[in-house]
Amino acid sequence: MGHGAEKGRPFKKFKAAAKFEDSKKGFADDDDDAYGGDDAYDDDEGKTKDFSKLELKPDHTNRPLWACDNGRIFLETFSPLYKQAYDFLIAIAEPVCRPESMHEYNLTPHSLYAAVSVGLETETIIAVLNKLSKTKLPKEMIRFIHDSTANYGKVKLVLKKNRYYVESPFPEVLKTLLRDDAISRARITSEGTHGDGFTISKALGEIEGTHDELLNQAEVAAVAEEKEAHAFEIDPSQVENVKQRCLPNALNYPMLEEYDFRNDTVNPDLEMELKPQAQPRPYQEKSLSKMFGNGRARSGIIVLPCGAGKSLVGVSAASRIKKSCLCLATNAVSVDQWAFQFKLWSTIRDEQICRFTSDSKERFRGNAGVVVTTYNMVAFGGKRSEESEKIIEEIRNREWGLLLMDEVHVVPAHMFRKVISITKSHCKLGLTATLVREDERITDLNFLIGPKLYEANWLDLVKGGFIANVQCAEVWCPMTKEFFAEYLKKENSKKRQALYVMNPNKFRACEFLINYHERARGDKIIVFADNLFALTEYAMKLRKPMIYGATSHVERTKILQAFKTSKDVNTVFLSKVGDNSIDIPEANVIIQISSHAGSRRQEAQRLGRILRAKGKLQDRMAGGKEEYNAFFYSLVSTDTQEMYYSTKRQQFLIDQGYSFKVITSLPPSDEGSRLHYHHLDDQLALLGKVLNAGDDAVGLEQLEDDADELALKSARRSQGSMSAMSGAKGMVYMEYSTGRNKGQQIKSKPKDPAKRHHLFRKRFGST
Amino acid sequence: MVNATKGVFISCDIPMAQYIVNMNASLPASDKFIIHILDSTHMFVQPHVEQMIRSQIAKFREDNTYVKPS
Repeated sequence: MGHGAEKGRPFKKFKAAAKFEDSKKGFADDDDDAYGGDDAYDDDEGKTKDFSKLELKPDHTNRPLWACDNGRIFLETFSPLYKQAYDFLIAIAEPVCRPESMHEYNLTPHSLYAAVSVGLETETIIAVLNKLSKTKLPKEMIRFIHDSTANYGKVKLVLKKNRYYVESPFPEVLKTLLRDDAISRARITSEGTHGDGFTISKALGEIEGTHDELLNQAEVAAVAEEKEAHAFEIDPSQVENVKQRCLPNALNYPMLEEYDFRNDTVNPDLEMELKPQAQPRPYQEKSLSKMFGNGRARSGIIVLPCGAGKSLVGVSAASRIKKSCLCLATNAVSVDQWAFQFKLWSTIRDEQICRFTSDSKERFRGNAGVVVTTYNMVAFGGKRSEESEKIIEEIRNREWGLLLMDEVHVVPAHMFRKVISITKSHCKLGLTATLVREDERITDLNFLIGPKLYEANWLDLVKGGFIANVQCAEVWCPMTKEFFAEYLKKENSKKRQALYVMNPNKFRACEFLINYHERARGDKIIVFADNLFALTEYAMKLRKPMIYGATSHVERTKILQAFKTSKDVNTVFLSKVGDNSIDIPEANVIIQISSHAGSRRQEAQRLGRILRAKGKLQDRMAGGKEEYNAFFYSLVSTDTQEMYYSTKRQQFLIDQGYSFKVITSLPPSDEGSRLHYHHLDDQLALLGKVLNAGDDAVGLEQLEDDADELALKSARRSQGSMSAMSGAKGMVYMEYSTGRNKGQQIKSKPKDPAKRHHLFRKRFGST
Repeated sequence: MVNATKGVFISCDIPMAQYIVNMNASLPASDKFIIHILDSTHMFVQPHVEQMIRSQIAKFREDNTYVKPS
């Protein structure tokens, strides 16, 4: 079904054009050649485009997608071919927005690079795209694909015996590369090289699996042939620079990084298998097949929503490669979780796995094993203890089969560079749920780790019952007269956030939702507040336990244990410490009362806390008993900055296909008097409290280890100082109470000792 | 004696009324435009400020609205 055939039939063109004119009246048609000469696809954003010139194929109703000459591809999800088309598109294009019935994708040089690196060839991409497209493939798109993919796959980066080589079957290509300053500087010339300076080795022609499930062709196995590979060695510390120079926006010879682990006889094997009860789900299988597509392991990133089982993917990858594996996590809690996951899913023996954190420095025994540690531990630049110095030395000297990186989106680029320059690994796998950052550093990951290998569609996982079906709602709480008057005053600009968070209407809406979900539905609720002042006020007033940065590990465990098991503790208040590291599978309701400005990632991570599927599978499936089994409420004070942030924050989830329902009438008027702050006096007292609190106390909680986009500078930490440093200034305030009330479960402000004592008795006397 | 003053009657929600009051308060005494605040959602202002109030409120609302960059 080439388009050459269609060209010879002009009547079709006429018909198609006529159809378009009917349906798209009102489109300007005087910009005939306005977009004709565009090479890059991204310079004409934001304009309404006229696509009436695209030719419809006669059987277009059977085809699932529209391909436009600006690189955008629109996929109809109701098409019977959706599944196949989705698998293909996700491999070649970047998803822009994926609502329920129509997905939008964008072809970019990076996405095509990823496509080539998973084994798709230029001609295959064009042929399949043409097959699926309702319209004749635009010439611009074909040219773009050709231009972007022409040089892909010609250069490889290979790690042999702890030395890095750039390898290519074409010596000309290597010469082109060496003409670049950065690369020639990185080159290490050694003796024994051939005439033109390249080492030549005989390499077995690889057997490439072709990606053509779609075309229903038989797998074409290339005949193994002997071919020469030319190579030159490069300085390990320059690897990243060299890779960056080779990317599409520079020399355009993107490097493939593959690891032929089956034929690696230098590194000792690690005996580990997946346990039989570990059954990867279809999408986990798919993501792994992208990674191990041609029998070798490719470096790259796999994007799966929170709660969809990223760790099983990681463990499966490690047990397929069966070499030493270095697993990096963001903090000590997830180190423990990863170690546990390894033991849970694979047959690895206890002595083969060790954790390396500031608290537990387990020495590495044997010649192959799994080491789980944090980014901070590896990248730490200061003086280490003798013990950890030894371990880090061992990590440095070892050749790792797999470098497994959890939550890649949170780690700042400079830390990555450090980690990658310290550790030598054949293959890197990055795992994440949310590949967005407000500082747009995501593109760095392309050369630091590799292309995105797979990205799951959230809504498909919801439909399959693999993650919870969440109802998202934005609750609009009007500001009260007095609060809004203060909010508008110039002298209160620093307290604005505290004012809109402490808005009594918001408090009442929050209280109503807690009551409703606790009593009427028996749900488990997490309330998120970034603002420490608000967190304390809310938790105190509603008499619920809370966890924030300065809460000790013991206390956290106690509160979470109570939340998980006790029938009396159904609500817990969390500051942003709960965004990532705290695992609470029981919770199914989130109420968000304040947040980190416009961070899309935080919103998605918080939603991730309740994504783990609950209940019976058949109830969750379409048409089951419960349409929604998890709820995400974001409380917003109207007419304030919060409205702006809230909309911005939702963008990521909206792009994943979630829709936010706006609720305006909470709490219902008949509930009014039963909730707090019903009377004006109470509201005014609260207002006074907010205004009298210091500017520091009402600000955001500063966590040293949050490594968020705005707190990057503090991402490096010295050992053991975490608890002392976190909580910043707000914590100084808190510390007075911690000292005085040892043994009390909730640390809170010593405002009213009588009430606190009562609280203590009431909540913890019974347990 | 009864004095008749021409003016504009504004009816709005509580926060917007506060916004207008705040706007009025930030102006020098000679430019103050509120003739009388009737209750928390109604007020009577001088006729020439209507456009100014409208545009200020429009701007305020604009500032609090996020538009997705395309």
